[in-house]
Amino acid sequence: MSTWTRACAADEIDEEDLIRFDHDGRTFCIYNTEKGFYATDGHCTHEAQHLEDGMVIGTVIECPLHQGRFDIPTGKALSAPVCVDLKTYPVKLEDGDIFMEIS
Amino acid sequence: MSFVATNAASSGIKLDRKVIKQLGKRSDRPGLIWLVQWVAMLVSTGYLLHLSLGTWWVIPAMFAYATVLVVPAYSVSHETAHGTAFRTRWLNELVFYISSLIYLEEPYHRRYSHTSHHTYTYHVGKDGQIPFALPMCFSDWLRDMTNTSYYGYYAKLLIKNALGRFSNMTLQYTPEGELPKLKWGARLFLLIYTGLAALVIAGYMWPLICFVIPRIIGGPVMSYFTILQHAELAENSPSIVDSTRSVRTTWLARFLYMNMNNHLEHHLYPQVPFYSLPALNEAIEDQIPEPDPGLWRTNLEVLSVVVRRSLGKNTKTASIRQAPHMITNGSYTRLAERTMQ
Repeated sequence: MSTWTRACAADEIDEEDLIRFDHDGRTFCIYNTEKGFYATDGHCTHEAQHLEDGMVIGTVIECPLHQGRFDIPTGKALSAPVCVDLKTYPVKLEDGDIFMEIS
Repeated sequence: MSFVATNAASSGIKLDRKVIKQLGKRSDRPGLIWLVQWVAMLVSTGYLLHLSLGTWWVIPAMFAYATVLVVPAYSVSHETAHGTAFRTRWLNELVFYISSLIYLEEPYHRRYSHTSHHTYTYHVGKDGQIPFALPMCFSDWLRDMTNTSYYGYYAKLLIKNALGRFSNMTLQYTPEGELPKLKWGARLFLLIYTGLAALVIAGYMWPLICFVIPRIIGGPVMSYFTILQHAELAENSPSIVDSTRSVRTTWLARFLYMNMNNHLEHHLYPQVPFYSLPALNEAIEDQIPEPDPGLWRTNLEVLSVVVRRSLGKNTKTASIRQAPHMITNGSYTRLAERTMQ
């Protein structure tokens, strides 16, 4: 069962940046990219490093530890050392707040 | 998965998140300017080498060309392995492949082995890029400085990877699904090196003059920079401050080495590109030790220590940073063999 959960206010995230969002024992990242807002799991699939200090480059998130890259909208692993896709979550913007659908 | 990667967090270094983001910003411009300058230096020293052929001037000319070829090839291969040299990905990857060919490491393997070096910096049995035994004695120093240990390691690695017979260390840091890429990458590089050898056998001398001889001569110059990164510091420490060294150096050395004299800073925040490392140093200088003195003096002190260790004498350095357990007054116990073998 999935539920829509408020993650943050949209203006809390700088352009081409992300913030960490912890909820119910899980951790996520919420992104503000040139193509809109997105949400993914918080940890890199390579060695479980949290992505919160990673660089957002266009619509790509780069892990801060080894610089493995994921496509933010799809979660697709783009370059070594990452090779397992990142889980993504639907988001919606309502009254200046970002909600994500956590499944 | 529970582990603590060796970085700023494990070292107790703190920096405002917005500052990290600012320092980590990517641009093509600094990398392109560096690349143009490197190519210009290669063309200049290469032309001098050409003019000097057949005279005694060939010796200094070859040394200059070899230095300009090999040290930056190592530096940019490392920077592009991180993906931080350029914002544009295809440009980063193109430079990564070409420079890795000169530096001598198949790119897929380089990227994966380097992940272990950052996750477990200087951790025995886990860091796949420890180039000498610990503690280092004179024979280890000599093998590393001449690159002879590296040539053996690389040749064996390339052949084994091309055959799909991966070492335990390679299997430790490479996801299983990525092994075919290592295999095909090694085969491609073997094919290129074999092609160059065939050209030399067929009488074309340019691969020898432009690549093979400079790589051999430039190898020790490269090690003159790289051997200092962790030598005489603490193995198995979660703190980068304990395991990694920065050194002061000249503008020319900083250019050739792409600011990797700020090596401690690089390990703390590997997402920061080379052109922002001096600014990173300024941002955290009150939390980290002073860099060791220049390359020459730091190298001399390391050499002095390894000679004295081999002779069974006191191994305390005169001024550079050293882990307390590296200081002995005679005999020493081997703590670990190099992982690059």
